[in-house]
Amino acid sequence: MAEYLAIYCVAHQPRRVKLPAQPIPRGASPEDIERCLFDERMNERYFRKVAQWCYYPATEMWLRLLDRGMSLSLGFSLSLIRQMQRWDPALLQLFQRLVAHPRCELVAVEPYHSFLMFIDLPYFGQRMREACEELERLFGKRPVVADTTEMAMSDPICDTLRRAGFRAGMLDGRPWVLEWRESTHLYHHGGLKLLPRHFELSDDVGYRFSNRQWPGYPLMAPTYAHWLREAWGDLVFLAWDYETFGEHHSRDTGIFEFMEHLPDELQKRGITCLTVGGAVEQFWDRSYELPLGPFASTWAGSGGMEFFLGNSAQQALFQLMLAAYNKAKLTGDPKLLDLALWLIQSDNLHLIQWYGRAGSEAEVSAYFTPQEWWALGPHGIIWEQQCVYRNFIAALEPYV
Amino acid sequence: MPGGIADIQPTNAMFVVISFEGPDRYSRAGGLGERVTELTDALATQGFTTHLIFVGDPALPGREERLDGRLILHRWCQWISKYYPEGVYAGEDAKLYDLNDSLPHYFFHEIARPAVAAGKLVIVLAEEWHTAEVLCRISDALYYGGIRHRAILLWNANNVFSFHRVNWGRLSFVSALLTVSKYMKHVMWGLGVNPLVVPNGVPERFFEPPDPAGVARLRQAFEGNLLLFKIGRFDPDKRWIMAVEAVARLKERGARPKFIIRGGIEPHGGEVLGHARGRGLRVQDVWLPDGAGVDREIEAVIAAQEADVINIKSFVSEEFKRTCYAAADATLANSGHEPFGIVGLEAMASGGVTFVGATGEDYAISFENSIVVETDDPEEIVGYIYFLSDHPRVVERVRASARETARRFTWNDVIENLLGKLRYLAVVQGVHA
Repeated sequence: MAEYLAIYCVAHQPRRVKLPAQPIPRGASPEDIERCLFDERMNERYFRKVAQWCYYPATEMWLRLLDRGMSLSLGFSLSLIRQMQRWDPALLQLFQRLVAHPRCELVAVEPYHSFLMFIDLPYFGQRMREACEELERLFGKRPVVADTTEMAMSDPICDTLRRAGFRAGMLDGRPWVLEWRESTHLYHHGGLKLLPRHFELSDDVGYRFSNRQWPGYPLMAPTYAHWLREAWGDLVFLAWDYETFGEHHSRDTGIFEFMEHLPDELQKRGITCLTVGGAVEQFWDRSYELPLGPFASTWAGSGGMEFFLGNSAQQALFQLMLAAYNKAKLTGDPKLLDLALWLIQSDNLHLIQWYGRAGSEAEVSAYFTPQEWWALGPHGIIWEQQCVYRNFIAALEPYV
Repeated sequence: MPGGIADIQPTNAMFVVISFEGPDRYSRAGGLGERVTELTDALATQGFTTHLIFVGDPALPGREERLDGRLILHRWCQWISKYYPEGVYAGEDAKLYDLNDSLPHYFFHEIARPAVAAGKLVIVLAEEWHTAEVLCRISDALYYGGIRHRAILLWNANNVFSFHRVNWGRLSFVSALLTVSKYMKHVMWGLGVNPLVVPNGVPERFFEPPDPAGVARLRQAFEGNLLLFKIGRFDPDKRWIMAVEAVARLKERGARPKFIIRGGIEPHGGEVLGHARGRGLRVQDVWLPDGAGVDREIEAVIAAQEADVINIKSFVSEEFKRTCYAAADATLANSGHEPFGIVGLEAMASGGVTFVGATGEDYAISFENSIVVETDDPEEIVGYIYFLSDHPRVVERVRASARETARRFTWNDVIENLLGKLRYLAVVQGVHA
């Protein structure tokens, strides 16, 4: 029975592109290209909404939970940090207080929440190192454990993280990845320790908590603590979006009360909370070999990359991402390359997963599609999104 | 109060005019630039605080106040225009997007809300298809901001350009539609809308005679010739080829015509000049010295007097234009489709003999104040010119009557017409105190 629990949350807000696509003037400067690409007014609107309903109350909640013996590992995309710096520095200060707590550990994530690891592995490794430096500057702690965008993991990604200097990484504990293994142990692959996310117990809170059709509804803290304690193995590793608290599940679902009751219930059952780094140290000598293949797993959807590349619109957009990134690289202009990195943000693929599909995954995808875009219609969204990339690629021409 | 709102005065109302074209040379492509420049100037001169939002010269200040601060110019899209030095319509799609995207927010927070807070009614006049979408968004912004009832929104069509891009249902729901002539009103009936007619105007200064010395010099230089003048975009609607063909026939018949023309950058110009050359007319391109005064402009044209067609390739000053109207035996504003015909009215104000088309020129009465050309047959122009040369008293009458007619179309008259309609429109749009 698992005696240890590690909880990880990743906080992220996308930098949404501007739809309908804004024409980019010929010969535009990188700064003017940028203002055509991104809908900062919309980004600010969504950021402020999530800050009000999630980031502020959830962070206050975690501060209390940590004081009461829980531990939290926390990842931030620089995408979110840039938004906090621009629109709400007080929120960043609140997060800095949270990270400064001795029971909070900082985790490195891909800075722009991009799919760079599928496009340019060496640069991905460099960006992860740079992210550590920036996070250390901002929070005073240096991450030693890495998460990747959407918790993507494969043999090449694993090697890259190890070479970038990380002690451990994460992956989603799906059966197709772990096969006969349990997710409740520490693993290693090629010298990098790996924490498998317990996807069922994680999703009980992350996805199902407010689902009235779910047999487990309503989920109470004693029940959940019981399930955690009953899990067979060394430790349970739970991972959620930070936005689970107050955004994915609104306050009136009872998610905050549920969490507030958790420390006592865990304590009653003798569960010890660790940070992810603490868990890695705790089980360092008891990790097991985990073979990883070239196909990446993810915590999104059914656990494979088909969530992001499973329909024709996503495949077309990914080709445009490749073209945008590589052409930007040809220019040798760091500012243009930076714009391309924003454009390969995974969210741009996530939010069109619904195209030609139905069911719960499509509903999740559609939930993340800005409601303002639906006036364009489904085909209009796909077309205009592609136009953003086509415009960008054309705008690079004078620089190549 | 009876009529819904108080009489509209500078103390209780302000105007906002939105247009692609505007007063900067960069922003002038046709009659629209002239229209909004003169209209806003006249409004501000009458005492109304007037904002003009237009696609301005990127090198000039983003905001500029004129007429003791009553006229406020907002040069929009400058960050885009700097990439398109050719002029207002270059990079049109990018500018249009930016206008739609950025103006409503600015308009609401920086113009409308402070004005309403100061107790003023906001009257917005948006010009042409480019502003149809942004006007809808402005209406939405005013509505969500709780001040839609303090604004009258007007949208004016000066032409039929890109009518297919306008969402007429939405536009006519949020605003009152205007147009500049009965002809345009009839055209727009076909779209299921019924605009009110408010004509274009001419500035008061056009009634000051151009410098007689300049007129005399031009006439003297072309003595013994038939001096004709035409200005406008090289657009088939302007019936340039009809005019050139008429000149060729006049030459064939020994009338010794000299045709001073100022077209645009449009490709149809190649066809027009090709036709002229093909008909044996000698064409000479002329560049007028910029900003050197009307005398130098006249000089440059006279220097090309051996040519049959003197093709001006550069900007022409207003003074030069008025000199040509007055000096020419005829100004050919013979459009086949003319929503209003501002060139015709300007030429009439300058005392010119003006050949106009038979569409939007509501002001024209043939052989009374102008010559109305009703077909696309060049022979019609030739015939009327021979008639006028045989009847100098008709010419005198036409010149005198033209000025009288034009006087009824000053911008102040136009504003009076507009203000007269606003009380009705205020009630329709639910405006109240």
